[in-house]
Amino acid sequence: MIDSNNLESRIVEIYNLYYLDVYRFLVCFTGNQNDAEDLTQEVFIRVLKGVSNFDGKYNLKTWIFSIAKHVAIDHYRKKRFTSLFKDGFFNQLSSNEKKPDEEFEVTELKLLIHDAIAKLKPNYRAVVILRGINEFSIIETSEILQCSEVKVKVDYHRALKELKRKLNIEIEGVLTNAK
Amino acid sequence: MQNEKDLFDMLKEMYPQHPRKEFVSATENTLRQRARSMRKKRILTKFSVISSSVLVCAFIFSWLIFFNGNGKVSEIIHSFGGASSSYAMDEKEPVVYIYHSHNIESFIPELPAQQMYRERAYSDTKNITLVGKELSRELEEIQVPSIHDETDTAGILKQKGLHFPDSYKVSRENLQKVLAENDSIRMVFDIHRDSNKRRDSTIEIKGKEYARIRFVVSKTNGNFETNKTFATQLHEQLEELYPGLSIGVIEKEGNPPNTYNQELHDNSVLLEMGGIENTLEEMYRTTDIFAQVLKDILEKSK
Repeated sequence: MIDSNNLESRIVEIYNLYYLDVYRFLVCFTGNQNDAEDLTQEVFIRVLKGVSNFDGKYNLKTWIFSIAKHVAIDHYRKKRFTSLFKDGFFNQLSSNEKKPDEEFEVTELKLLIHDAIAKLKPNYRAVVILRGINEFSIIETSEILQCSEVKVKVDYHRALKELKRKLNIEIEGVLTNAK
Repeated sequence: MQNEKDLFDMLKEMYPQHPRKEFVSATENTLRQRARSMRKKRILTKFSVISSSVLVCAFIFSWLIFFNGNGKVSEIIHSFGGASSSYAMDEKEPVVYIYHSHNIESFIPELPAQQMYRERAYSDTKNITLVGKELSRELEEIQVPSIHDETDTAGILKQKGLHFPDSYKVSRENLQKVLAENDSIRMVFDIHRDSNKRRDSTIEIKGKEYARIRFVVSKTNGNFETNKTFATQLHEQLEELYPGLSIGVIEKEGNPPNTYNQELHDNSVLLEMGGIENTLEEMYRTTDIFAQVLKDILEKSK
């Protein structure tokens, strides 16, 4: 139990420790800086509400990430039938300043990866990002997703396989078109 | 692209790796504000809980003082009326007044071993007051509103430096006050524990033991005739339902002469119930029956 007098300093401390990790998870998950920022704020507001009841049974970081995962999936469900996801991505890319041809190559590849990730179902997406980007261990990932370690391993491999398969098909497709 | 590491490196580079600085500081401020308002809310909740409990306490305290005055009557006014048919139910006002001039009279089976002497069958806590309380509760159950006076008469005697025979003077004060305030009172009972031996104070009815009752009427009071009629009515009603439970009506002069405050009400009777060897359970069985008898009489006299 955290004394309410310390609540303010406590939440600020937690926020400064973890906001970057949470943001990176969400930016990969949503593919959009604006959404990722909004959701990051949402995550820490939920952390603030829950922190006085946080009993220390869990690791603080995995607890925060389990909140982030819920926030991300809620967001995914809300946006499921809208195309805002892609629009946001295009807007952002166009703001980059690079040489035209170089920019095109990079953009093309990024677009492919982005699409492939976006097509993964949200649970696979979460596993891939948690393991690959945030570099959580299998045990930590299983705590965040509240599932068994075996499921984390299996999902991770299936997600990667699917991702690679999609990317290979897409790249081949791009090359074929280019010929 | 086959390499996972390359894939993740690409992914990492794909999106802005840091949120905007304005966002970081704005969120920090938002969180600070929220934390502060949560704290305020908690303080407010705490404050309102404390202040409302203080208010409630003050209310109860003033209620006690206002209604009880210096007499320390703790009145239990059972006024659970209802739409049912009976006499008492139509009235919300108390119709029965129960008190104990000798409130510390007790029962040996209910007391710790060291108090097991005849002359010590008295207790400040486990005493005849509990029997009156039970009668009041049973009356409430059958919708007969009553007032049970739990005044510690013996305590007041001690406080004022009076002697045991003065008990009636002390209990009289509250009785007069209650009668003046409630003209709805139709019956007055001063309940005592009798001092008969167990074989005389107990009767077995259908396999269960009951404490017996005696009705005592003072010959020296102005209401002697009406009191006697009332006592006889109670005795006869009991005889009809549970023969032998009532010992009968006794007329007493008292030595020195005592009216037992019976001149204050037409239907005033002193009850002597059970004896020092009875248990509270045996007493309660009798009060259960007695409550029903009172209700019957009230309905009849309507």
